[in-house]
Amino acid sequence: MTLFVQQFFNGLSLGGVYCLAAIGLTLVFGVLRIPNLAHGALYMVGAYLTYFFLTSAGVPYILAIALAALVLAGIGIGMERVVFHPLRNAPHTHHMIAAAGAMFFLHSLIQAIWGADFRRMESPITGRVEILGTQVSWQRVTIVITAVVVLIALTWFIKRTVHGQSIEAVEQDRVGASLVGINPNRVSMLTFGLAAALVAVAAGLVAPINLLYPTMGDVIMVKVFAIIILGGLGSIPGAIVGGFTLGMAEVMATTYVSAVAGEVIAFVVLILVLAIRPTGLLTKAVQR
Amino acid sequence: MSQKSRSTLRPLIALSTVSLLALTSCGNGGGDGEGGTITIGVTGPQSGGGALYGENVEAGIRLAIDELNEQGVTIDGEEYTVEMRALDDEYQPNAAATNAQRLVEQDDASVVFIPHAGGIHAAQEINTSRSDFLIGAYSSDRRIIERDNELTFMISPPFVSYSEPFIRIFQEEQGAERLGLLATASEYGQQWTTMITQDWEDAGGEVLSNNNFDYGAVSDFASSVARTLSDDPDVILVGGPSQTTALVIEEARDQGYEGGFMIMDQAKFEELELFTDPENLNNSAGVKPVAEFDDPGTDSLVERFAEDITEERPITAETSLNFQAVALVVKAMEIAGTHEDPAAIREAMPEAAAEVDDVFRVSGFPDEVTDEGLLISDSLEGAYRDSEGNYEYFPMDIE
Amino acid sequence: MKLTFSIRGVGALLVAAALLFAPLILAEQNYLLRVLITGITYAIAVYGLNIILGFTGQLSLAHGGFFGIGVYTMGLLTTDYDWSFWGALLAAIVLTTVVGFLAGLLALRTREAYFAVFTMALGLIIYMIISRWEDVTHAYSGVLGVKLPENIGPLDFSEPATYYYLLLVFLAAAAYVTYTLRVSNVGRRLLAIRTSEDLASSIGINVGLNKQLAFTASAGFAGLGGALFASAEGFIGPNSSSIDLTFELLMFLLVGGVATVMGPIVGTLLVLALFEAFQDFQAYRFILLGPVIIALVIYAPQGLIGRLNELTLRWKRRRAAAPKTPAGPPDSDSPADPNDEKAEVR
Repeated sequence: MTLFVQQFFNGLSLGGVYCLAAIGLTLVFGVLRIPNLAHGALYMVGAYLTYFFLTSAGVPYILAIALAALVLAGIGIGMERVVFHPLRNAPHTHHMIAAAGAMFFLHSLIQAIWGADFRRMESPITGRVEILGTQVSWQRVTIVITAVVVLIALTWFIKRTVHGQSIEAVEQDRVGASLVGINPNRVSMLTFGLAAALVAVAAGLVAPINLLYPTMGDVIMVKVFAIIILGGLGSIPGAIVGGFTLGMAEVMATTYVSAVAGEVIAFVVLILVLAIRPTGLLTKAVQR
Repeated sequence: MSQKSRSTLRPLIALSTVSLLALTSCGNGGGDGEGGTITIGVTGPQSGGGALYGENVEAGIRLAIDELNEQGVTIDGEEYTVEMRALDDEYQPNAAATNAQRLVEQDDASVVFIPHAGGIHAAQEINTSRSDFLIGAYSSDRRIIERDNELTFMISPPFVSYSEPFIRIFQEEQGAERLGLLATASEYGQQWTTMITQDWEDAGGEVLSNNNFDYGAVSDFASSVARTLSDDPDVILVGGPSQTTALVIEEARDQGYEGGFMIMDQAKFEELELFTDPENLNNSAGVKPVAEFDDPGTDSLVERFAEDITEERPITAETSLNFQAVALVVKAMEIAGTHEDPAAIREAMPEAAAEVDDVFRVSGFPDEVTDEGLLISDSLEGAYRDSEGNYEYFPMDIE
Repeated sequence: MKLTFSIRGVGALLVAAALLFAPLILAEQNYLLRVLITGITYAIAVYGLNIILGFTGQLSLAHGGFFGIGVYTMGLLTTDYDWSFWGALLAAIVLTTVVGFLAGLLALRTREAYFAVFTMALGLIIYMIISRWEDVTHAYSGVLGVKLPENIGPLDFSEPATYYYLLLVFLAAAAYVTYTLRVSNVGRRLLAIRTSEDLASSIGINVGLNKQLAFTASAGFAGLGGALFASAEGFIGPNSSSIDLTFELLMFLLVGGVATVMGPIVGTLLVLALFEAFQDFQAYRFILLGPVIIALVIYAPQGLIGRLNELTLRWKRRRAAAPKTPAGPPDSDSPADPNDEKAEVR
């Protein structure tokens, strides 16, 4: 039982990280209809930025994550301007190649700056707390709480603010949105900025229980794609449900079946979803 | 109209400039006609997940070359400068073989160092047939010398050498019975696991569920650790890149594990200590830290690594073993009287082993080079960190 | 029309001649010959990718996986099961075609970006199976000693140049199939699908069937390329089926020119030459290469051959416009020409 409770919290925290990373990807897909392959690279840059603010600039942890999110949002917007905006009328093939180019570039750039070394980011949040009879580390509790807070803030932003609503409008109906005078350029930039900020938060949260290295984004990239396929490309609730589902499924499969099961479960889920309902579980039937 | 055609041409011009650039820079690799240069080729990961590993290997080769050039290299009465030429293969076997062939043909290298088993296997398909070069194989996978490739020498001690002392320490001396498996799921990790499973069971122990996972591809390994611990092991096999290994060990200790660890040879104590509280490492066996050797050249190499390469991380066997191997192979060139004939160089290696300058003897310098191509050192040792945190060293037989 | 054809013909002939004489020119340069050999095996797979992407406009990201199935069929059959090269080659083609067909049944229910993401997942799954199914594929240990083709009479395929010419035969076949597709009714149907699926089905084209055929054939070529690659390398490992490979193949195709006949081979060799040249920048070559890739996609989206075709087409039109003679029969080349303006607007 204690094993289960402990793993439940591990699943929650992993799910929270997946969620934050997946929402950005699904947002970009919803608004621009492109699978941004450089998303994993942005995650990696976000982790390094948090590391920089925390260790080199000496900023407190939560503030360091916020700063990293801000800077990465800038980078995300820059990427939209330089790479994706010129390709807005090109076939989606070109976006994917350009995104791969951006990914290679970011890998190399970070390796040039920080080297290929693994880095460990010590979180100031240490110690453990007793929940339901098991020890859960504060870092994991922080991850879960932060993820929930960010998700609530995001929902508020999208449902209650003008900018957020414009994103949702474009997602649901491109033509209609432009007819009512929503500037697609601004929405694109906003979406990229938001996606980058969210993935930076995910990276900043997970960095202390993991290691930093230039290709760290590749691992999460596959998972995040699995999540948004599971939840439906472009669907935010889908990304949230998918994120927690996969996080929990991975942890439980590893604990109660085997380590290999934990690693392949994302793919098993993928096959099933693709075979049964290729547009994802939570999307409306017709989506073009 | 004119504007339109200009915009048509721009990409073409860009493309042709780039390809021109490609062609010209292809050319500069060619060996400069003047005699007196020996090129040591290296192909390893410089980018991607294995980049750090590649850097460490290159560092050893570079430091050896600097030292050799300071001392002077004379072959058949003529003085030579040694230089290194390193290409990136991103850990891919076919890229490694292509690079090796390029180094041999365009840079006149007759020795190519390759630090991964896949690349070595791929290069062995061509090094005695389509091309002609000696492979400095840095991998602890024994299959690379079991293929009867007469132009290969194996720099790293095969990992099978660790099995016997590891089992002796934990099973015989401590009475451990239950072995947990929590190593990396790479080729190398799987082979290690198979070997230790077999030997552990042969010695009468019990092997628990296999929880190996890919150290490079898992976002959260707390659950693998928990599952291993739920079997109640006495000792756990861990290992992969040092940094991840350190986190796995730390997680296990955090979850209350008090038993021992067998640490596979890819992970190194000196790096583990940097990434986790060294106390977590108590009661584990692994590779002896380079700096702990008392060989004649140990101190000077440790110092030079800090000065010339980096102070951010300690020197490890990846660097020191390749450092030694370069010195050995260049000495073999001197003895063979040629830097161009790989077979003659290989043949001179056993003799060269005794004659290499003391400064290159750093961490168990090879005393013997077998016909298979295995470098054997009688002074190689493994390390055991006891429950107080003190290191003890035990001898190992290379086999 | 005739003139255009001849310009393109001359270009194709030049490339063909260069490929034919390469081993003679590179007499002592085994390394460059090796790069060429690898390049041609990739190019055959790129021709496959070209069929699905170029002619139906669907981006498949499973082709690294199909290539990998070819690689491992050849690798495992000629070693563990001791098949001959030719038997294994046939098996590789058949197997990838079958897998491609089955995958197509699932994947082609989606389109555009969904199709791309779906096939990417498919490619990842193939990679996972190859890199993890240790009992069969030997996983990360790889496969040693993949066979070269058995000698045929005086032809000794262990000689790189001989093997190279064998590859050229397959390459020519791939290019020929592409060429026939371009000028055939099947090709027109596929291009109509690319322009608009709804439109195509409204004029009576069986969209589903045609896409299914294109995808299946496309997978078969990828498998053929993979099988030849395995034999050329002798040693194979799981990353010959990775998603990175898919993107490399795609890059080769885009640089060369989507839906063109010469694009795949020219693009592949050009990009490989770039990769080799940029080796001098070592670990940091992607700081340069990344932006180069992005710039190519932005400024030369039709690829090199696509751009050249466009230029000749324009030149031809200008010539055709100059004399007073009536335009004559409508340009029969242009509906089939994938590089006309329609393709860009899409």
